[in-house]
Amino acid sequence: MQALRMLLRTWRGGQLNLIIWSLVLAVAVVTSVSLLAERIERALTAQSSSFLAADLVIRSSKPIDPQWIAGALEQQVESAQVLTFASMVYHQDDMHLASIKAVEASYPLRGLLRRTTTPFTTDPSLIEEIDYGPAQGEVWVDARLLPLLNIELGDEIELGEIRLKATQIVVEEPDSGGSFGAFGARVLMNYGDIEAAGIIIPGSRVTYRYLMAEGASGTDGFANYSDWVEEQLDIHDRLITPDEAQASIADTMDKGRRFLLLAGSIGVVLAGIALALASHHFAAGQTRQVALLKSWGIAASRVRSLYLQQSLWLGVGGSAIGLLVGFAFSEILIAVVREWLPISLPMAGIRPWITGLATGLLCLAGFTLPAIWHLPAQSPLAVLRDDVQVEPVSSVARGLLGIAAVAALLFWYSNNLYLSLAILAGFGLTALATVVLGLLMLRLGKNTGQKLGSIWRLASSNLWRRKSQSIIQMVGFSGAIALLMIMSVVRTSLIDEWRWQLADDAPNHFLLNVAPYELEGVRDLVTDQNLETAGWYSMVRGRLTQINGEGISDEQRDKHESFRRELNLSWTTELPEGNKLTAGKWWDELDLSGDIAPVSLEDELAGELGLKIGDELTFSVGGLVFQARVASTRSLNWDNMTPNFYFLFPEGLLENYPRTNMTSLYIPPQQKLLVNDLLRQYPTVQVIELDKIIDRIRSIVSQVTSGLEVMTLLILSCGVLVMFAAVSLSMSERLQESAILRTLGSSRRLILGIQWVEFSVLGLMAGLLAAIGAEAAVAMLQRFMFDLPFSWHPWLWLVGPVAGGLLVGVLGVGYSRKAVTQPPLQVLNSL
Amino acid sequence: MIEVSNISKQVTTTEGTLTILDGINLSLAAGESLAIVGPSGSGKSTLLGILAGLDLPSSGSVSLNGQDITAMDEEGRAAVRAKTVGFVFQSFHLLPGLTALENVALPLELQGDKEALKTAAYYLQRVGLDHRTTHYPRQLSGGEQQRVAVARAFACRPVILFADEPTGNLDTGTGEKINDLLFDLNKEEGTTLVLVTHEHNLAERCGQRLVIAAGQQVADVTDVTDVTRGSVA
Ligand SMILES: Nc1ncnc2c1ncn2[C@@H]1O[C@H](COP(=O)(O)OP(=O)(O)OP(=O)(O)O)[C@@H](O)[C@H]1O
Ligand SMILES: [Mg+2]
Repeated sequence: MQALRMLLRTWRGGQLNLIIWSLVLAVAVVTSVSLLAERIERALTAQSSSFLAADLVIRSSKPIDPQWIAGALEQQVESAQVLTFASMVYHQDDMHLASIKAVEASYPLRGLLRRTTTPFTTDPSLIEEIDYGPAQGEVWVDARLLPLLNIELGDEIELGEIRLKATQIVVEEPDSGGSFGAFGARVLMNYGDIEAAGIIIPGSRVTYRYLMAEGASGTDGFANYSDWVEEQLDIHDRLITPDEAQASIADTMDKGRRFLLLAGSIGVVLAGIALALASHHFAAGQTRQVALLKSWGIAASRVRSLYLQQSLWLGVGGSAIGLLVGFAFSEILIAVVREWLPISLPMAGIRPWITGLATGLLCLAGFTLPAIWHLPAQSPLAVLRDDVQVEPVSSVARGLLGIAAVAALLFWYSNNLYLSLAILAGFGLTALATVVLGLLMLRLGKNTGQKLGSIWRLASSNLWRRKSQSIIQMVGFSGAIALLMIMSVVRTSLIDEWRWQLADDAPNHFLLNVAPYELEGVRDLVTDQNLETAGWYSMVRGRLTQINGEGISDEQRDKHESFRRELNLSWTTELPEGNKLTAGKWWDELDLSGDIAPVSLEDELAGELGLKIGDELTFSVGGLVFQARVASTRSLNWDNMTPNFYFLFPEGLLENYPRTNMTSLYIPPQQKLLVNDLLRQYPTVQVIELDKIIDRIRSIVSQVTSGLEVMTLLILSCGVLVMFAAVSLSMSERLQESAILRTLGSSRRLILGIQWVEFSVLGLMAGLLAAIGAEAAVAMLQRFMFDLPFSWHPWLWLVGPVAGGLLVGVLGVGYSRKAVTQPPLQVLNSL
Repeated sequence: MIEVSNISKQVTTTEGTLTILDGINLSLAAGESLAIVGPSGSGKSTLLGILAGLDLPSSGSVSLNGQDITAMDEEGRAAVRAKTVGFVFQSFHLLPGLTALENVALPLELQGDKEALKTAAYYLQRVGLDHRTTHYPRQLSGGEQQRVAVARAFACRPVILFADEPTGNLDTGTGEKINDLLFDLNKEEGTTLVLVTHEHNLAERCGQRLVIAAGQQVADVTDVTDVTRGSVA
């Protein structure tokens, strides 16, 4: 109780403000970021689930194990089976190789189906959103099937042994996701009709999908069940998670999440530094009180317990406020990003709160305790003699303790080794550079200062006289500046990277399967609308039949789709824009006149298929066979929405095979009717509409970006706090000196001039040193965390010193203005 | 009450060993008052610190209230200080964040006194500051601050009060009032008083005087003023 009373009095006296603020900020930053991250995580899962039509999907080349379905029933997990395959559908004399999807009644488990009874409509009021598929005996079809089969809604089509009535047009399936695989028009049917149709016979190429979603048994029940199912998967089965379902959003979100993590970690470190400085300052102010207590006969053990208790109260109190502030802050952040988050965001669990509290206590243990540890050893003799001071815990030991605390926090908080290392390295390098080069710079400054005017001379010798304090302050400044630099560099490069997604005219439609004789007409249609394509690409559809002279085994066929179905083969002279060679050589370095043609593969696919440079592949195109040798692998850029090919050949090889054409283009919303005209005139052309998905990505990206901005602001305020803490470190001494100078009749110009020079020189040096650490940390982060290319940031070396000098100078002068606005005696009395 | 036998104090500095005190003997009965006088740098504060158990002599022994504090460990001396000793310092040593009342109450609170604030208020009234209880040290004049310090020292009801130049930072008039206060309270509370001073008048008011010069006890000096001027040294 006594400890609490002492603490409250100290707080009232204003000596605790910095410590409390640092603590509150540390806890608030961590709490708000973890709360936000967890809630966004949950919202995101909901979003991505709708792209899967489920929470989790197993794709398989063999029928779903009935045990799984029984298990799902038993464990109250929702499930649905979906079959997809290609099959001929007939109406009188017309026929079409449709892409059939048979779904159970519970499909879709997540997200909604959109259907209409008006073919080719774009009027949203005519489109219905529902969460179930067609009943038995019915099919819902792609609008283009109507002209292809010459039918109208209500007509029956033949599929295998049965006739099914086309009752609705499917406009959108939640899990269609812009697939390039299927060329036929969609026919959605009920799973119950499959058997009667008699079209699935052993050996048919069918893809089985097993959709699962959390049901009455809740999250844990679902996790148990999915773990159980996962254990039973074999090579025929592939698990698809929501993240994979929508790669481009997942990527944006993932980077956004990492940035939040980075920003949060930087916030923690900054608040830690502020806390360390504030504690140092606090401890210095407490030595006299401790001497007094001890002269009254308070034993050292009692003093220790008093201060430990005070720290504990401080930790608990500061953390509690921090948790509240953090909560408020996360609410503000959520309000900012509200648009794309479901209205009822699930409340976060207990973990963020624990993280916040642990941050507070750990920060206190790592920064405050070491700073006050020596206090009980203070000799009571100090009440009689000023020079009796006990040595504080050495700054090296304190530094190490602080680093240990920060490292523990960083790692526990981010759970990411690279991130923790990069931040530690960035900060460590900066601190080291500051200690080593800082002294040198101060020395240099002193020598040069002697040759300049009186302000410079006084200021530079002051800095040198207080060199240990100057170095501590510089570590604070440069650390803060370096961390802020790291954050802004990463932020800038992320936003740059996302800019394409925010570009207004990125292609949002793909046109595929355009036959050579249709090309002219389709082109004209597009040009009539004054639209531009991303260029036309020709492709040939062929199968991979042999690898190094050996046929594809059943096992391989089961393992990967690409061994089963036709591949899109294309040709080019130049390496397409956005593609990067990852191994081997491009055409220009090869002898193209050799007896066997080279082929370039997408590198991930090559890995999945187990193909290496030098492998000989045999392709079959419409029965005609040719060979090629793997000459290179490439990485593709999926972000720019232009056509990409897994298999590329040089020119002069495929031109004579039957080919189709494809392109991508931007169709503005008001010209969307073009799609209908096109499909009506050319029903075999496949149009992949990505406009809705792109809109969704864009809104997510822009919200994520504004979320990052808010976060950046929060972290900036942490940085300013650190600077403030560092400035106040020397303030009472400076004010005293200024007041004495003032008593001696010095002008306002001289006094403020000295402060201005001292602080801005400190800030300038700190900014320069910070650039070193920031550049190193950014290089690490770009390489390991954000997959961004390494680049130098010359502006860091310029902005760092200038901004550092200005900011620190302004803070310092602002702080010491009191020395010239108040009478010197008042200043001295208030110290 | 205080028995000092043959204490000396040496410190090692960069310039070698420095003898600050040498061969000091002294005996003071309960309720008595002692003035330690001598020129600046003669070792008065050092002696006071040793007498109060804040520091250890290099040799010799000190006993307070019948207990040899030089034979105790730091913990033991702290316990003796807590029970027997009170201080008034030249530079007041009030805590700036605490009001006058809280400053006086703090040592009592630390001793677990439930009546701390009441006792503190009583002693503030005794030093004539009952109207300034909620003021902070910076709002008080030097003399007022020292009166708060005196109240704080007496509030713990010490057996011995040590004062190191209690009026050294104050003008003569104000110093005079503080001195009156010290001696009045000394009489009323029956406290033993040890004070270091430069002042002739103050030394004269004490029952016993110890004059030191350059760390040595100076025997027959009657005119304290000479000593403080340094003529003996
Ligand atoms: N720990 C120490 N290290 C070095 N010198 C010391 C130490 N303690 C005391 N001294 C020296 O011993 C001498 C006596 O100091 P002390 O403070 O006792 O003097 P004083 O009589 O109280 O003087 P004043 O009247 O100025 O307060 C001084 O010269 C002082 O510098
Ligand atoms: Mg002295």
